Amino acid sequence: MKEGFVLNSSALMLVGAMLFGLGVVGFLTRRNLIIMFLCTEVMFQGVLVNFVAMGQRWGNLQGQAFGLFVLVIAAVEAGLGLAIVVMLYRRRGTLDAEHWRTLRG
Amino acid sequence: MESYLVYLAYAVAAIGSAAVYAALPRDGVAPRKSFLVPMLGLTIGGVVVLLDKFTGDAAKTWYSVLLVVLSLGGAVRVVTHPKPVYSALYFVMVVLSTAALMVVCGAEFLGAALVVVYAGAILVTYVFVIMLAQQSHLGTEAQFSMMVDYDRSSREPFAAVAAGFVLVATVAGVIAGRGASAANPVPPPVEGNTMALGRVLLTDFAISVELAGVLLMVAMIGAIAIARRRFPKSEETAAYQPGEIGRHVKPF
Repeated sequence: MKEGFVLNSSALMLVGAMLFGLGVVGFLTRRNLIIMFLCTEVMFQGVLVNFVAMGQRWGNLQGQAFGLFVLVIAAVEAGLGLAIVVMLYRRRGTLDAEHWRTLRG
Repeated sequence: MESYLVYLAYAVAAIGSAAVYAALPRDGVAPRKSFLVPMLGLTIGGVVVLLDKFTGDAAKTWYSVLLVVLSLGGAVRVVTHPKPVYSALYFVMVVLSTAALMVVCGAEFLGAALVVVYAGAILVTYVFVIMLAQQSHLGTEAQFSMMVDYDRSSREPFAAVAAGFVLVATVAGVIAGRGASAANPVPPPVEGNTMALGRVLLTDFAISVELAGVLLMVAMIGAIAIARRRFPKSEETAAYQPGEIGRHVKPF
């Protein structure tokens, strides 16, 4: 890895922030439950890029190690979230989040 | 010295937000290409200029910049594509380009894990669920279009895009205001990224690794408990209706 060959940590953090922001916009606007979960995965991507950038900035591997744990959390979240989505789909026969707006209270 | 960078970051965030707003699905109205294409081009140009200002020389890092543009463009399509399957496939593009970006930036093991876990496992689960939950072959085209109406329209697009703009602009402004850091200040470990990461994981974070395994098992049990169908307890009582018992004569 040559000097000046890769993006520095500020640029990577910027990319992470943009990915996270796109995920937030998608989570807030889309009405399909599956796409909402997919947007949380986009947010996870932004967080992962941020962890790599932080590890690069401080010059240790803790960022990448934490990134692996974030990967585990993402897998868990996808499994449980999709199980809940399947259950909700069986109840109402639709994936529209607006059908569950009574949960809003 | 860095104040113009802050305003540049704000401007890029604003243009990108406008582009995302224009690209979001709306009731049956296709996004206006004459507005969308220049906005997206401007956003890509702004991101490239911003990365160039941060890194100092974008020409040397052109494939990192290309990967960034690919992943951000894929993320925009994930958010705005009206068909869920295409969203999932664009998310594969986001994952692959992010993984390549991590490999380029010296996090090889994390990049490989990203491809294996995300593109290999999580995305397959998503596609399975999309296939399970969308019976598009049933019914006519009109019924189908009525059924997936929720994919064609978005909920509060302006407020959501404004919230996203505020978030990204604040973070990007802070990052830009602090100034660019030195590129890769610490040399990578001589033994290689994977070995060094394994050493860190199994010494400093050994308990966390075990806890992650426990967490995965708990989530697996939970997912099975949530998503299984409730079958009746005993098969004999459920198989026949009350008056039906005795009509089916078994051969032996």
